[in-house]
Amino acid sequence: MNKVWKLSILVIGLLAVVGLQVFAASPIKITFNTLFHEADAQAMQKIIDNFNATHTDVQVELTQGGWTQYYAQMKLAVMAGNAPQLGICHANKLVEMADYLTPLDNSPVGNILQMAGFNPDDYVSANWKAGELNGHHYLIPLDTHGWGLWYNKDIFKAAGLDPNNPPQNLADFINACDKIKVAGYYAFHPAEDAAPRKLRRAWYVFYWQMGGQLFDKNYTHATFNNPKGLLALQFLVDIFHDFGWNKPGSNGYDQFAAGKLGMLVAGNWYYGTAVSSGVNWGYAPMPNFFGIPYTWGNSHQLAIPLQPKGTPKAVYLAAAEVIKYISEHSHIWTMYGGHITAYKSEATNPELLASDYWTKSGKWLNEMAQKGLVHFPINNPHGSELEQAIQAQIQLAVNGQITPQEALNKAEADCNKILQGK
Amino acid sequence: MGRRIGEFLYRHHGLEGVLYALPFVSLWAVFLAWPVGYGIYISLFKWNPMLGSKFVGLANYAELFHSLRFWNAVANTFKFAGMTIPLIIGVGFVFALMVWGWGRTHRGAGIIQSVLFFPYLLTVSIVAIVWKWLFDRDFGLVQQGINAIFPSAPMLLNSTVWALPVIAIATAWWLSGYRMVVLQAGLEEIPRDLFEAAAIDGAKGHHQFFHIILPLIKPSLLFALVLTIISAFRTFGQVLMMTEGGPGRSTEVLALYMYWVGFDYFDVGKAAAAGVVLLFMILALTLAGVKLLGLRSELQ
Repeated sequence: MNKVWKLSILVIGLLAVVGLQVFAASPIKITFNTLFHEADAQAMQKIIDNFNATHTDVQVELTQGGWTQYYAQMKLAVMAGNAPQLGICHANKLVEMADYLTPLDNSPVGNILQMAGFNPDDYVSANWKAGELNGHHYLIPLDTHGWGLWYNKDIFKAAGLDPNNPPQNLADFINACDKIKVAGYYAFHPAEDAAPRKLRRAWYVFYWQMGGQLFDKNYTHATFNNPKGLLALQFLVDIFHDFGWNKPGSNGYDQFAAGKLGMLVAGNWYYGTAVSSGVNWGYAPMPNFFGIPYTWGNSHQLAIPLQPKGTPKAVYLAAAEVIKYISEHSHIWTMYGGHITAYKSEATNPELLASDYWTKSGKWLNEMAQKGLVHFPINNPHGSELEQAIQAQIQLAVNGQITPQEALNKAEADCNKILQGK
Repeated sequence: MGRRIGEFLYRHHGLEGVLYALPFVSLWAVFLAWPVGYGIYISLFKWNPMLGSKFVGLANYAELFHSLRFWNAVANTFKFAGMTIPLIIGVGFVFALMVWGWGRTHRGAGIIQSVLFFPYLLTVSIVAIVWKWLFDRDFGLVQQGINAIFPSAPMLLNSTVWALPVIAIATAWWLSGYRMVVLQAGLEEIPRDLFEAAAIDGAKGHHQFFHIILPLIKPSLLFALVLTIISAFRTFGQVLMMTEGGPGRSTEVLALYMYWVGFDYFDVGKAAAAGVVLLFMILALTLAGVKLLGLRSELQ
């Protein structure tokens, strides 16, 4: 073999080795953009770090941040042909977001659910169904999150109440509040920090507990301006006025963390603050005030935003692989993020069941979720506008600036205008 | 080659100016003229490139003008501007006079200036969080002070009457420092001998203020006024963070309304229409300010 041949073989061999190395060192990159912040963002970071450490073929670039403009950003990213390969969608946002998401059972590369081996039976049924719309499946459930009752055990003792038996019905609840008030504390805050949307959710809870419906089935008109809606709102208003259990505009989060508040209705995301506050706290399911002990809640779901034409099948499958991994490791999500996993087998993970979070609060929220008592918000393309129309009036009623009946009249009129496109 | 270019430019001397202006004009066109033009364009559409945008002419504007919520936002914007503009300019002017006057006779004016300017260095979110805390019902220093004097006083940020003035005060605290610097620069421009001559002629302090300072500071005042009009009318962050437009819709200003419509309801065409209305409002008010101050020449 002459020198030229030897040299050629050497060069080709070197090129092949370099080429293989380059190929091997180029995993599929999945961009995952979430709306998480604080504890849940850290929990998702843990899961994704674990994924990246154990996978060489797919690597995830995680970006997280605030939720306020998340859906608008996602829509704009899809329009710009620059959407992340993975995103989050609240269950009640599906109607609004479906045009911007990949139908997983009918994607441009085929049925991703089948190809990636998703089994609906692995997930909590209600959460799985929340990902379906118009005969297609768009979302894979991640969790259920929602409100429960946080109470201060030391205040309970000071008020002569049993700190291990928080009230679970209306009579006991009123009795507890009155005793806490007499003991010199704020008795109860029904809505976290009293932001307008939180007050609306508190009213929803009371209204839903009476079996109330906010809109008719086809969303042609509002159906909340009735005696049940009025009673629910009157109860909410009285908490801040006639009952004297708290004062309008006050921040329940801060009151509770400062040891000034007996009972607070807040989401599972309050866990970290409750722990770090030093308050001797307990957690209970939402009391049964008016018949059915519903609480307000929602479900984070994983989605593949609509991808530009020509996106390779491998990218879709890689995104699905990440979703599966997150599902199968979602006990971490629950332990550190506080939201209850929707993947059934992960809810019995021994590490999770032994964790402080689970024993002190998570198991109660899980119980509410399992019993179907976590009521999701309205699911309508005009959902945000409708809810703002309601909350503006609820807040004024809570402040005592209009009567509950005036609030419902105005909210009903505004919602009907929105629904009828006026 | 270089010589040829030089000769070419010499023969076409108008072109040289164009070349000098080109970098700015390019940036202006890309980052200002085009977005404004495109904003006006999409205000004529039910804009949704995914599902197909539809030309609707002036329907978005008609929808706005028939919306009570829009007019409420316009009214709130004017109320807010009516409070903040005099407050910011007034406080800024007083600060400027203090620092300028102190600097003429004492040392340390720079330190005072730095302290007064400091709030301007903060981001809107920090300003909003600090002021929200100050007015917290249970933990806020200011709210506690008010309740100590007036036990039945409402929580100001939760009051339909007081929430907007509180946001206006927070905004004035935040922005006055920069106006102080602008106005102080104007004061420094006034020749000292004018004051000396006036003093010899027996002019008192208030005479000097009205007959020397005010007339000669007009250009700086105009600049500060234009900046403040723009700031006041496009106020957004502090309202979102301090009240979210509440209680009810008592603090929902036009920029916040645009935000809800554009980013929450994703009705981008309508939000763009509201933006165009806001643009023309600011333009009209700025020109009115120019006319009021009799400074037409400043614009030429």
